[in-house]
Amino acid sequence: MELFIQQLVSGISIGAIYALLAVGYALVYSVYNFTNWAFDAFMAFGAFMAFVAISSLAMPFWLAMILSIILTIILSVGSESLAYRPLRARKAPRLFMMISAMGVNLAVVNIINLIFGGTFRKFPVESVQPIFVGNVSIGRMDLIAGLISFGVLALLWLFLYRTRWGLGIRASAIDIQTAALMGINNNAVAIIIFVITGVLSSIAGVFYGIKYAVFPMMGIVTIKAMIASIVGGLGSLPAAIVGSMLLGVLETLVSGYISSSYRDLFSFLFLIIILLFFPNGLMGKNVDEKL
Amino acid sequence: MGYINAILILCGINIIAALGVSILTGYTGLFSIGHAGFMALGGYVSAILVKEFGVHFVIALLAGGAFAGICSFIIGYPAFRSRLRGDYFAIATLGFSEAIRLILNNTREIGPIKTGAAFGYMNIPSHTTVLVVVVAVLLALYFAHMFVTSQYGKNCIAVGQDEVAAQMMGVDLLKTKLMALFISAFYAGVAGGLLGFYFAYLSPSFFTITKSSDLLAAVVFGGIQSLIGPFITAFVLIAVPEFLRALAEWRLIIYGFLFVVVMIYRPQGLLGYVEMNLNFVRAGWDKLRRKTGPAEG
Repeated sequence: MELFIQQLVSGISIGAIYALLAVGYALVYSVYNFTNWAFDAFMAFGAFMAFVAISSLAMPFWLAMILSIILTIILSVGSESLAYRPLRARKAPRLFMMISAMGVNLAVVNIINLIFGGTFRKFPVESVQPIFVGNVSIGRMDLIAGLISFGVLALLWLFLYRTRWGLGIRASAIDIQTAALMGINNNAVAIIIFVITGVLSSIAGVFYGIKYAVFPMMGIVTIKAMIASIVGGLGSLPAAIVGSMLLGVLETLVSGYISSSYRDLFSFLFLIIILLFFPNGLMGKNVDEKL
Repeated sequence: MGYINAILILCGINIIAALGVSILTGYTGLFSIGHAGFMALGGYVSAILVKEFGVHFVIALLAGGAFAGICSFIIGYPAFRSRLRGDYFAIATLGFSEAIRLILNNTREIGPIKTGAAFGYMNIPSHTTVLVVVVAVLLALYFAHMFVTSQYGKNCIAVGQDEVAAQMMGVDLLKTKLMALFISAFYAGVAGGLLGFYFAYLSPSFFTITKSSDLLAAVVFGGIQSLIGPFITAFVLIAVPEFLRALAEWRLIIYGFLFVVVMIYRPQGLLGYVEMNLNFVRAGWDKLRRKTGPAEG
């Protein structure tokens, strides 16, 4: 029983990281109708920046985290203005945006690979004693990752639903042209969205790096975030979060009780089963592809 | 000569797989970043058939391709039926290919057949020669051309252009997409088989996301709705890094930047919408005839 609860907590904390990623994708998709493939590169970039800040510059963890967030925001907004804005300006089909994003992803991941090499690195945080609740030991980092992730998601929700800027973003998500006619600055919306994307990917990258390892291809985990948002149901932030939690818990249980090498296989099977029996995801509305 | 041969063979194999991706991505508008998975399936199946069961390698290649094609339904059917957005279909293919690699990486043996897990499947009989590859490429090009100019191919193009409009015209979306996926996976499977028969060895590490990115790059640069474009770029993208070894680790970085540049300045790709045909030969012949003789008329 103790083991089960431990697994559950660990699963929720990894689920929280997936949720950060899933929400980041959903945000860009809801406004621009394309999947920001570069997101996983940003995540690896964020993790590496924090890694360098701690291991080479001997910064404390929180400072490294802030530095990593700032640098990732610069990368994220920079890629928006270089790779996506020209396409948006001439109303290119979303397919082109997607390919462009794949290009950013390929370039950034492989630059990281060139500089740091493809090896797996341990994130330099001192291993702290786990907290004991009764007989259940809970990893302190799991707890911090979970709490910060939920905190960030809550802040994001407040921003989107309780501020005028958030209103502008939600209006653009419904119809970007009409929103522009109503006086919403499209470029400002783009910058805000990509700033948020940068923050989310950097935090997710750092915590994922702490939990597993830091390596250039670590962004591949964003597949899980995609799976999670399909499982939960497309087009809704709460559904993405629920899907992420489910997937996180499922994965930890599989690696705990079956085999860790088949963990990813199970998440993929899970996706296929969900698609076969719940084509719209567990909580999804019946949404056809947006035209 | 052996070196040139090796490059020719690798280019040919890459071209076959890229033609498959072109049918799926260039014509039908469905993105795959998991074709390495289909290559792995085809490669292992045809290698096992030849090595363990003594099947003729041509039949084994076709069987490997067919197996990859059938396996593609595992993702194709649920994804297309639920009308998964194109981006998510791409993710599903990536997940699929990673799952295949994971299974191969952890499977030491299937019954009495030692597939060697991460060490790779050894001692596959060598069958791939330049001649075999050239014949295979020509056949692949011919059949791909036949397919995209057929009614089925036109359906694929219609779906790629506008799904709703295609459906209104009576195109069965599910069937068309599944067919494009099947053919595309078949091509990848045959390419995987040829790869195994060339190296006499297959390892799960051949079939990573880098391989899939290479294939996608060939189609993106080569041009959508074109066979000859991806044909040329698939050749160039393999041959050039071979000659410029120093560039090897920069290759994917350059691809990445090129993706962005191509999308901004020439989104249809190098030869987008340019069909392979022999009209220029006929035009030249007509010109020649008009010049040389006022024969008839």
